[in-house]
Amino acid sequence: MPLIVDEDLCTSCGVCVDRCTMDIIRLNDDGFPYKKYDECWYCGVCEEDCPENALIIDLPFQVK
Amino acid sequence: MELETDILVIGGGSAGSMAAIVAKEQNPDIDVTIIEKAEINRSGSIALGMDALNIVVQPGITTPELYMNSARIATEGILDYKPSYVMAERSYSILKRLEGWGIRFPRDEENKYISLQVHAKGSFLLEMDSPDLKLVLAEKVKEAGVRVINRTIVTKLLVNNEQVIGAMGFNIRTGEFIVCKAKATILANGGCARFSLPNSGYLYGTFDYPGNAGDGYSLAYRAGAQLTGFEFTQCSPLIKDINCPLLYITLTRGAEVVNALGETIDLEYVSTQNMLKELREGKGPIFIKMNHLPEERIQDIERILFTTERPIQKKFWENRGVDFREGLIELGETEYQLCGGHGLTGIVVNEKAETTLKGLYAAGDVACVPLQHLTGAFVFGEVAAEEAVKFVNNNDLGEVDQNLIKDEEQRLLNVMDNNKSGSISVKDFEYKVRRTISDYAIPPKNEIKLKRFLWWLPRFRDDMKDIQVTDHHELSRYEEIQFILDSAELSVHASLAREESRWGWFHHRTDYPEKDDGNWLKHVVLEKGLKSGEVQTLLVDIENGGEH
Repeated sequence: MPLIVDEDLCTSCGVCVDRCTMDIIRLNDDGFPYKKYDECWYCGVCEEDCPENALIIDLPFQVK
Repeated sequence: MELETDILVIGGGSAGSMAAIVAKEQNPDIDVTIIEKAEINRSGSIALGMDALNIVVQPGITTPELYMNSARIATEGILDYKPSYVMAERSYSILKRLEGWGIRFPRDEENKYISLQVHAKGSFLLEMDSPDLKLVLAEKVKEAGVRVINRTIVTKLLVNNEQVIGAMGFNIRTGEFIVCKAKATILANGGCARFSLPNSGYLYGTFDYPGNAGDGYSLAYRAGAQLTGFEFTQCSPLIKDINCPLLYITLTRGAEVVNALGETIDLEYVSTQNMLKELREGKGPIFIKMNHLPEERIQDIERILFTTERPIQKKFWENRGVDFREGLIELGETEYQLCGGHGLTGIVVNEKAETTLKGLYAAGDVACVPLQHLTGAFVFGEVAAEEAVKFVNNNDLGEVDQNLIKDEEQRLLNVMDNNKSGSISVKDFEYKVRRTISDYAIPPKNEIKLKRFLWWLPRFRDDMKDIQVTDHHELSRYEEIQFILDSAELSVHASLAREESRWGWFHHRTDYPEKDDGNWLKHVVLEKGLKSGEVQTLLVDIENGGEH
């Protein structure tokens, strides 16, 4: 259940990391967000608050 | 980090944010601190807003007395008069406060608020248009000059002579140990959403925000406060698999619920219990049907569902290829939860939001003001703040036993040290705990079944030494498993104590299948035994406020 990140749009600002309600997002070595922990509630905050619209979340396989 | 504050608010969601704002309104010179497990801009149960304020008594249209009649029916009599009356009485001023902050409440062509009837008597639910509600609350907290400590889990309350004098916890990223001494403490950290296992099998696929793991119930219980309503394990029929809500939004706009036989189910003001009964009687699957609604109504429903509270629904339906104009929406039973907002569970509070411990207040889902919804979180956020400010004016900071602080810090260090190479992942462990809750702690209940959980409980607690904890994020999940276990222990003891069936399916005992008003129109109150350290149950009369 990866985060889908548009690397051309993402500025590595970290808003998604700051606001994730389950604190599961981190930036990788290239500065792009990924889900470090498999505990997503798919609340959509990361997608909603991304200032560049660079991020899309997918639903976990078990619930989609 | 060690700090002193006048009022410590634990949990910066709806109730906690309101409490902090109102405390500063009452006296800007008072020092107010919020400790929040997530990040305050998007935290608690309304991270992406809410579509309704469920209980508003509008002067000239409804009355607090009418609300009390409805609430008594909805709670089957397990309701103290004063707290719910205060909530109803103050609900309209909450509406006006939110309007003043720019939250929109839609009106009809006669300029009246659009209200919907979801209670037996009276139309109390007001539509609200507020995907940004939490951002607005967070902004007001900031403007008020409240100190906010994000990403911090509280693991223990500081107590001295039955008085709460602050709390301890740690930053879930850095592990920094945090001690906050406070003259007054307001618990506002939600119910227990991670109780039984969702049918999808996905641990975090719960209806309510899964960051709420019963933290507040466990903290209050361990500090010596009384709790009640834990036998009322509650679930809802929501969108199958994803467990997102849509009932009020669709059903109050003309949608119907049909069963597998094509029969329309009588909803009696959106009675979720009627729907769940169809499933249990083998008449499922059950569906929400909207294909008879006009296009503009469908668009209205889609606009709300796809922007507010759980907008992920849009993606879910696209993936399943379901269009509300044609397709049916299958409903499934959510996991069971413990909650003061949707249910009857929580810390015992009076109409002043006071718990049974000096210096400790509770508001929102963590407190037992039955079926209070968002209205209750806001009203009791206000009330808790007003009372805490009075308390702070008359009380100095109590003396803190430094050994309590050292012990808690050492306990957390020991887990990090000893559990480094544990053999069970936190996730696997939580899965088995919650599967066992599903097996034994939810309806249908009976004595033997409930006691099976108590057989497992000490084994789980002992096995926690084998959980692998490699960072502070995992340590926070480890702590949450303790909260879940405590919540389940309280629930099972309450379920055993109430030797009757009440609140429909949610406390159905197959060995006591009848409701018994003669003996059981009472609260089952739980507290930690002073000597034994075990859960003690007491039966307490309902406080009727002179009414019947």
